[in-house]
Amino acid sequence: MGLDRRAFLGLVAGGAVGTMFTPIPWKLLDDVSIWTQNWSWIPRVPKGQVDFVATTSKLCPAGEGLKIMRVAGNPISAAGNPDHPLSRGGVSALARSEVYMLYSPARVKSPLKKSGKGFEPITWEQALIEMADKLGAAKGAVACVSGDGTGTVNEVLSAFVGKLGSAGCFMMPSEATTAAKGVKLMGGAGQAGYDFENADTVLVLGADIFETWGTSTRNRKAFGASRPVGEKPKSTYVYVGPTKNNTASVCDQWIPASAADLGVVALGIAWHLLKAGATSNAPGFDTFKAVVNGGFGPEDVKRATGIAPEVLAGLAKTLAAAKAPLVVTGSPFGQGLGAAPFIAGMALNILLGRINKPGGVYALPELATVVPGALTRAAMLDGDLPAFLKGVAEGKTPAPKALLVYDANPAYGLPEAATMAKALEKIPYKVSFASFMDETAALCDLILPNSLTLERYDDLATPYGSGFCLYSLAVPYQKPVHDTRTAGDVLLTLARKMSVELKFDNFLQVLKEKVATLAKASGGFVAKDVMPWQVAAGKPAPALAGGDLWKALSAGYAWTMVGQVQSNLGFAPEVLAKAVKAGKAPEKTAVLAPYAQLRTGTPTTGIPCQDLTTVPDTELLKETTLVRLNSATAKALGLKKGATVTLSGAGATCEAQVHLFESVMTGVVSAPLGFGHTAFDIYSKGKGANYLSLMAVVEEPGTGLSTWAAAEVKIA
Amino acid sequence: MSGHSKEFPITWGMVIDIDKCTGCGACMASCQTENNIEPQPEASNKLRSTSWMLVYELTNDKAFPNHDIAFLPRPCQQCGNPPCVSVCPVIATDKNEDGGIVSQVYPRCIGCRYCVAACPYHVRYFGWYDPIWPEGMEKTLSPLTSVRPRGVVEKCSFCHHRWNLAKDAARAQGKNPDSLDDGAYVTACVQNCPSGALSFGDLKNPKHKVHELIKSPNAFRLLERLGTNTQVYYISRREWVRKLGDNYLKSE
Repeated sequence: MGLDRRAFLGLVAGGAVGTMFTPIPWKLLDDVSIWTQNWSWIPRVPKGQVDFVATTSKLCPAGEGLKIMRVAGNPISAAGNPDHPLSRGGVSALARSEVYMLYSPARVKSPLKKSGKGFEPITWEQALIEMADKLGAAKGAVACVSGDGTGTVNEVLSAFVGKLGSAGCFMMPSEATTAAKGVKLMGGAGQAGYDFENADTVLVLGADIFETWGTSTRNRKAFGASRPVGEKPKSTYVYVGPTKNNTASVCDQWIPASAADLGVVALGIAWHLLKAGATSNAPGFDTFKAVVNGGFGPEDVKRATGIAPEVLAGLAKTLAAAKAPLVVTGSPFGQGLGAAPFIAGMALNILLGRINKPGGVYALPELATVVPGALTRAAMLDGDLPAFLKGVAEGKTPAPKALLVYDANPAYGLPEAATMAKALEKIPYKVSFASFMDETAALCDLILPNSLTLERYDDLATPYGSGFCLYSLAVPYQKPVHDTRTAGDVLLTLARKMSVELKFDNFLQVLKEKVATLAKASGGFVAKDVMPWQVAAGKPAPALAGGDLWKALSAGYAWTMVGQVQSNLGFAPEVLAKAVKAGKAPEKTAVLAPYAQLRTGTPTTGIPCQDLTTVPDTELLKETTLVRLNSATAKALGLKKGATVTLSGAGATCEAQVHLFESVMTGVVSAPLGFGHTAFDIYSKGKGANYLSLMAVVEEPGTGLSTWAAAEVKIA
Repeated sequence: MSGHSKEFPITWGMVIDIDKCTGCGACMASCQTENNIEPQPEASNKLRSTSWMLVYELTNDKAFPNHDIAFLPRPCQQCGNPPCVSVCPVIATDKNEDGGIVSQVYPRCIGCRYCVAACPYHVRYFGWYDPIWPEGMEKTLSPLTSVRPRGVVEKCSFCHHRWNLAKDAARAQGKNPDSLDDGAYVTACVQNCPSGALSFGDLKNPKHKVHELIKSPNAFRLLERLGTNTQVYYISRREWVRKLGDNYLKSE
């Protein structure tokens, strides 16, 4: 049968009309719109009653108190606790991550045992049996490293290791380790505490006080309070350092100086103060005066640092004229500064009469230990981890047979990475109590996952930088997301298994004992209506409420105490004479000046996934980190904007892209830290380079402390 | 700009003190989680990532040692005369609610991105990817903000849900929800900023601090000459920062 043209057109027309009356195309169109517009896999938001509970951040070194929002009992987000003296409602990008990091892809989900190049999950019982066996065999040569600068878990760890036969208990190097060494060399006692709230003029020597130095959130709250919006500032902040970093960006003045010259700058200011008649009864004053007058005159300082005499003279005048000046010294990236610059900075505080005065520096007493045989914080801070590991790597120090790593990532977070890795390789048995799969955990034989802040009881005692003694609790508000345990509990269980007597059965008991000790201490109070800096300024301290201190701490309040230990802080002039020299600075083509920011996390957290968005493309572009040089440096090195370069130092190399940025001293390369992870997850791994690995460790003359605040690098 | 600004008896506004901002990113991180913005592994690609609040780095363009920097947090400016509204073909964005907050109705948005092109402040973001949270992390989603699908435009809402909560709280306390106390309603970024660089309140309410702050001789708005009449003000004592707020001829 043939199909003529007329019949064909009729068929098409009939088909078209028929189609109009059938629901099939409309239904298909509707389905297509549903399939393409409604994605069933888009998460639904949780529903339920909203409430708020309080805890303390353990991920963020600034130690903020947190208000946790919960929905139907599940934690949703973290904000600053307005009632906590270290946050007063503020929060860092890192502390904000406390809730969602519970579900980080990098979390270690169960105990893991090394198996070939990877790991295999094992049960807690298996892990404890193996560990008891291995540690039993390693008795007498067990070392530990802690990255938690404030927790009582350090007492359990150090007591346990001590009773097994310690080969060394170390803290990860930080501002606290430098300050502890400095205070010790000055003949003082206690932890240096800085009263920002009552200070009216703050000279910051290197320390990134609004990012990586001490209680940075609290520091910024104090700064903010003294600079009311829209009004004339009621305080003066001056920053001295190699770059105009986040802290310097809001200071009234930036004085460019290399991290290696901070001590020279401090003694240069001291010269002006002494000339103006400053004097002191502190030990070593006369020798100090001779040291300063003998080598730190305006021209000496200019020759060494390039700072014009009138700049330091003006600064000295400002400090001398201030009612409550304060000098804060630290590393621009939170570690590696020598003790001598700290001493030089503290000498200014002594000369200005700022020791144990409101708005000055307090010698804060350490809270009493409760675990028998535990090291005090001061004793733990006394160790020099980079020096120890360097000694192990070079065969000068016997390698411990076993190493316990708590909340620390030395394989990533220490300088001279190649040397440190070599040392870690020499230690035959390594265990990490890590919450996330970090670089050190990846090297260990056993990983015992530590529960996170919201899953465990923990505490925070007087973080470095706080101007007052403080104690606050972390309280669990949910069951562990994965098969994790609190490291303190694991250690106590293990101790029992190995018949090591530590007095306590679980970590909660330790914390309760600690709180009971505080309740008996005189002068302490719960900061509610009266804050500790108000007490420092003269307001009467409220009595410790007769009620239950544990209950108040669990509700998010902090126990605080204003006061000081007897500290006969001296000038340590002999140390300064050896360690600080105002000679002509050697010509260096590129000095590495790293900077760190809380938004890129810590070595143990990696980059919190939500914080990656906050990293600008002038810091991380695709997978490459950018280093900052001013145009004069770039010209001298023959580099152009956007050029890809290789930085090398301390036996390591790192890639980078050049970013021209004029707020960097000439001759300095400023590089962001927190990148270049080889572990963790897609939010951290393979993003940029770890420039800390380029920094060589050198021994500071006069103090013996390992330093790496300013290292020369080669750029090609 | 043509047209005129609508007037509202309550006009929520933000005042940002640039001289106090350290560029730490706490405001951005707070915004991300408050408003259910998914973690973005490729977040360094600023053309594809989403940041309702974005901190810009400003410089005075001088060479070392006279160089200066400042940080400028940029939420939606909530224009009184919003260029994004007039170009939207489906009225997915509008400015018609008390408070003067420019709305964004996600189910209505067809993803044409006219508003993205029209916004002079780059506050509008197109969702290029499906919003995916790592396994389990969806449990931390806020119940107060919806999750947007790929293909629509989104932007800062001044944490509008917090206004609703504040009004509910006022009603529960027997107070007038249309006259909230200063600080009763603040956005997540304002709440969490450790430096206190951000202030928030009703620009028309004399009892609110921002009412006075915007009269400061150091206060300015971004691209004021466009006539967008924004509800976000900035304050800086530094002249070069204020000058960067708009396009000036060299002779001005």
